[in-house]
Parts: sequence; C-alpha cells; structure tokens
Amino acid sequence: MKRKFVVAAGVAMVASLALSSCSGESADDGAEAGGPVTISMSGWSLATTPEFQVLADGYMAKNPDVTVELKEYDPLNYNTLLTADLAAGSGPDVIVQKEVKFVSTFQEGAQLVDVSDVELPEDIGGTEAYDIDGASYAVPYRQDSWVVFYNKALFDQAGMEYPDGSWTWDDYADTEEDLATALAGTGAFGGYQHGWQSTVQGFANAQVPDADILSGEFGHLEEYYERVLALQDDKAQVDFNTRNANQLTYQGEFGKQKAAMLPMGSWFVATLIAQQAAGEADAFDWGIAPAPQYDDSTAGIDNVPVTFGDPTGLGINAAVEGAELEAAKDFLAYAAGEEGAQSLAAIGIMPALLNDAVVETYFSVEGTPEDELSRFAISTHETLPENPTSSDTAAIQNVLLDLHTAVMSGSEPIAGAIKTAEERFKNEVDID
Amino acid sequence: MATTDATKVAARPPRPSGQRRRSRLAMRNTLLGWSFILPNFLGFALLTLVPIVVLFYMSMTNWNVFGTANWVGFDNFERLVGDGSFRIALLNTLYYSALHIPLTFVVALGLALLLNNKLRGVAFFRTAAFFPYITSIVAIAIVWNLLFSPDYGPINEILRFFGMENPPGWLTSSDWAMPAVVIVSTWRDMGYYMILFLAGLQTVPRELHEAARVDGASTIQRFFNVTLPSLRPTTFFVTVMLTINSFKIFDLILVMTEGGPGQSTLVLSQFIYTKGFEESQFGYASAASVALFFMCIIVTVAQFLLNKKRSV
Repeated sequence: MKRKFVVAAGVAMVASLALSSCSGESADDGAEAGGPVTISMSGWSLATTPEFQVLADGYMAKNPDVTVELKEYDPLNYNTLLTADLAAGSGPDVIVQKEVKFVSTFQEGAQLVDVSDVELPEDIGGTEAYDIDGASYAVPYRQDSWVVFYNKALFDQAGMEYPDGSWTWDDYADTEEDLATALAGTGAFGGYQHGWQSTVQGFANAQVPDADILSGEFGHLEEYYERVLALQDDKAQVDFNTRNANQLTYQGEFGKQKAAMLPMGSWFVATLIAQQAAGEADAFDWGIAPAPQYDDSTAGIDNVPVTFGDPTGLGINAAVEGAELEAAKDFLAYAAGEEGAQSLAAIGIMPALLNDAVVETYFSVEGTPEDELSRFAISTHETLPENPTSSDTAAIQNVLLDLHTAVMSGSEPIAGAIKTAEERFKNEVDID
Repeated sequence: MATTDATKVAARPPRPSGQRRRSRLAMRNTLLGWSFILPNFLGFALLTLVPIVVLFYMSMTNWNVFGTANWVGFDNFERLVGDGSFRIALLNTLYYSALHIPLTFVVALGLALLLNNKLRGVAFFRTAAFFPYITSIVAIAIVWNLLFSPDYGPINEILRFFGMENPPGWLTSSDWAMPAVVIVSTWRDMGYYMILFLAGLQTVPRELHEAARVDGASTIQRFFNVTLPSLRPTTFFVTVMLTINSFKIFDLILVMTEGGPGQSTLVLSQFIYTKGFEESQFGYASAASVALFFMCIIVTVAQFLLNKKRSV
C-alpha cells in the first residue's frame, strides 16, 4: 500500500518507458521500391493547426504514389509522448520538431536520420538550429520570429506617431510610458508583456553582443530586466503578479485593446486575423514593427534588426529505411522548399524560406496589415535561435525560468537572481 | 440433515481420511484466496512492483530515455548530495510537511468533532466540508490564484479592511508562497481526513464518556483522556497518510506555482519531474525518487514503531 503511493508521481512511467525501450521493431511496413508508399508524420491539434495537413495534401497531390498520414499528439505533452513512442519503437516516420531543445536529445539517442543530403533552397533560415557536429538532423519549414504588434487605433487615440522601425528598447520603453499616460482612464495600458521568460530573456540573449547562455554567464540580462521592472512599477503595463493571478492571455489583452503594444512571435499574425474575423477580437487597425534593438547599430529600416525565434522542423525517424526513407527525404525537401513555403504562407504561417514571392503570398492573406513597416518587420530580420542546440539547453532554460519568476514577481532583485542562476549553472549544469 | 451429519463426523475420533479432507480444504481455501487477490495483485505487480524494481536499477544508471543505460554506481546519489536545487527541494518539502501535517490534522479533527454533534443539517455541512476534496485541482488553482491576487484579490482586500497596511504577496512572494500553498492544500484535504475522524469517533465507547462525566471530568479533560486515546488507531492512520501525502505533494504545486517564484516552492516530486521529463535525465531523476522513497519508508517505519511502543 505504502509503496504504491511513493511511486505515484511519474516514476511508474519512467520504468514503463524503460521496459518498452527494449521491445518492438520500427513501424516499417517495408514497401517495395516503386510501389505505393505510406509515411506517417507527427502533428498536434490538427483541427486548429492546419499546417501539417496543408503540407501533406500538397505533397500527395504532386506524388500520387505516396500517402502521408498524420499522427496526432497532445500539444502540451508533445515531446514527452513522442519520446515514449520513439523509445517504444512506434514513433512516426517524419518527426515534427516542435521545440529545438529536444533535437539534441533525439539525436544523442540515435533516433534521427542524418538529413544533410536533403536539398534546401539558398535563402532558407533556421538551418543552424538542427546542425549537430556538422550534420543536419532536421530541416526547418517554419521560422517564426519576434516582432512588436501595435494597435493603430490606440496610437491615434493617444495622439502618438506610429513606430518607424528605428526603436531601441529605451525608445520602446519611453513610448510605452507615454502611451500609458495618454491612455490613462481608458482602461488600456501602454503595452502588454506576456509571462514567458522569452519576452525578456529571448531578446537579451539574441541582442546583447557576446551573450551566450551556454557560457553560464547571465549578466547581460540585468539591463533588460531593469527596464521591464521600471515599466511594471510605473504601471505602463500589467504587472507580472496580476497577470499570473488573473491568467491573462496575450490574445485577449491585445485583441480586446487592453494594450497598445505587444512584443510577440509572428505566429500571432494568423491568430489575430482569425480572431478578428470571428469577432473574438475587436475590429481595429494594427501593424507590425520590428523588434526594438539593443542599440542604434542595428536599429532603423536601413539595417537588419536582430531578433529571436526558433524554427519548427522536420526530422526522420532513424528506424525508417528503403523506399520510405526516400519518400520521407523527398517530403522534407518539398516542405522546406518553395512550394511548401508558398502553401504555408497562404494560410498565414511564416515559412523558413522567406523570399520575395513567399512574402508576397504571406501579405495577400486578407486581414494582414498592408503598410511598409509591417512588410519590413516580417521580411527583414536576423533571427537568432532562442534555444541553442545543446543537451544542456533544457536545464539552463529551467534555471533561467526560476530567475524570471523570482525577478518578475519582485521576490528577488535582479543582481542577486543572476548570481544565484550562475551558481546553479556551475552546480547543476556544468558538472562534467 | 447436513448439520447432524457434520456433528456425527466431528464426534467420531479423527481418522486419516478426515485429515486428508481437511488439508484438501485448506488447499482449496488457499487457492480460492489467491484467485481473489490475483486480479489486483497482477495489476499491482505489473504496474507498480516491477516499475519500482526497475526504478532502483535505473537510479544507478545514466539512462536518458534512448539507447543504453550505462551503470554508474552511486554517482547519481553523490551528485544529489552536492546538488543545491535538490537540497532546496528537500528543505521545501520538509517545510511544507511541517506546516501541512499539523494544520490539516487539527482542522480535520476539529471539523469532525464539530460535525459529530447532532445538529440540524449536519449531513449538509459534512458534505460541504468534503466538497473541496472532490473538486478539480485545476479549478482550485485558478480560483485560489484569484483569491490570493496581491492587489485585487478578496483576501488582501479583507486584510486591508481590517487595517493591515502591507498584506502579504502570497503566491507572488517567495516568503509567502509556501504558506499560501499550505492553506489551499489544508482546505482541500480537510474534508477527507474529517471523514476518517468521523468514522473513528463513532467507535469511541459512550460508556467511557458517561463514566468520566460522572467522575466530574470537564469537556476538555474528556477530550484528552477519553476521545483522543480511543481515536488512536484513526490518528495513527491519518498521521501516516498525511505524512506520505505531504512528502509526495506535486499536483497542487505544479498547477499553482510551478515551483516559483524562483525556487521558493520547488518540492521533491517536482524536482524529479523536471529532471526526468523536462531534462531527460531519467537516471538522475530515478535516484531522486529512490531518495524520496526511503524518506517515506523511514518516517513511516518510525511512526509504526512509535505506535507499537505506545500501545504496549
């Protein structure tokens, strides 16, 4: 009886993973070369995430011999469930890499095929995230990057000029303060900052020169946190604690015009358009500005702004071989290539391949902002990976998440929290 | 008819065939007994016993889900001893238990005593006290998060109304997050333990109370000298369950604070979960599970010994 309780928290599952890892062959059904081939691909929330079906349909239309079947996973436990399936030998043939930080786990576990020979277009972004020791273990098909969404109606109401793409973070903070003052009494804040650690750390890690979280030095975060804490104290944005207590969503805060600005990933473009069309969000004019910069050297529309974002990629299960492997590689080339990119852009998703034609398609979606700066923000940026490809990344991000909640909630000053995080890095991550 | 036959058989001097019949009967009873517990035991063995045995093996390896698990001996345990986060998780778990066990015990017993009286609508109040225990934990977390909200939450509104100028930040403050979690978990668990105490209170002999009253014992004296000693089997069971449940607290922490702010509410189960399922260090996570396992075993054995000593 007692023993039963002790193991409750997932330990049983650890062991069942262990057991299942010893059993089972790959789900290969060994089709003859030249005959009809079926490959499976993982996905999540298929009803609301059409990208997998779009890629599968597009490819099958071109290759009638190949059937691409989707295998749905729960989005919140995607990597855990996928890990269990792979360990049991029943994983999908084409594995969608939802989070970059799991790629090295899969690669080190010998679950992924080296796909360096899949031909990719010249100007595709995000490939370096899948590079491990000079070989590629996935191809990117989607590359979101962080930008600033702004509500033109609220800017007009405040009597302020729209962003011009020249902002540093100090300019952004000043604007947010001014907006908050001008909008006082309307119930709208200058900006909304979501609770994720990315909203502060993602920018700092990408933009501060020589910052590298794998080094275990986190001093570069200080300035970014101080700025945000000041905005919080001045009530230019909802503070972290209230946000958590009320479980605010960024879709609700921006969509219902509670905030004039929102730093967020470009995936929000498609969501916002859909929500405005469905009436879930208010109808208002909005635009996209490039991410504010660390200093003037990268700010302005004659420069290439630096921002961050992780690609979403496709890898191939190491158990796949023969005709399926050929078909899977061909599918990867399709998804990452021009045709795949076009079909994704047509449903409001930002493909990893962003050439002029693709950008054109992206902005032809009804409801997408049409101004020049939005187009610049979407098409021009240097997007650095949020999660560097390393087996230490998951542990480091957990240390930094604790720093984020401690600092943002006001329970620890930033300088002390950085010191704690650096000590924890030495103590828990850098132990080899 | 059958009874007379049986008496006749029993009345006769025992014969070898009777012994054989008896041993056959014993055999049959044993088999019958086994077949009753077999379905449960099979499930237990397959889903609990085997995984536990594997867990002990895993704790000595560096298994990371895929590939082979290399034997590393006691390396994981050495690493645990030096791991600052593990130490914090351990201390937080003990802190949580030290607050949660006595508080829940007292509240549950108090409620049980109160609702053991013949009141009008006592069934309603008993049901009401049990409600939190059967409410979805996610719903509990969302509602209590709102209640605890430092600036706009009703709890702090009330505290301010009563003149407290700087009410605690509750879940947003590293000093108050753990007490806040304890309050919620006590509120959630009290109904369950109250039911156990209520059942125990039914077994307290009425005569003892009457005798004590005749001897002039006050209500408080009767509580400490009659009710509590008579309740000992129940209090023992409740203490053991409360302790184990406190050591393995996980769900409430995960949905309310995720261990934050910082690491102020990081507990052992969550440490295990993070290391295993988020960082894929299953060997290391298994070692932490083994540590938690032994903590529970040691404390429970100590409680058993103490209980035995007292009952002699």
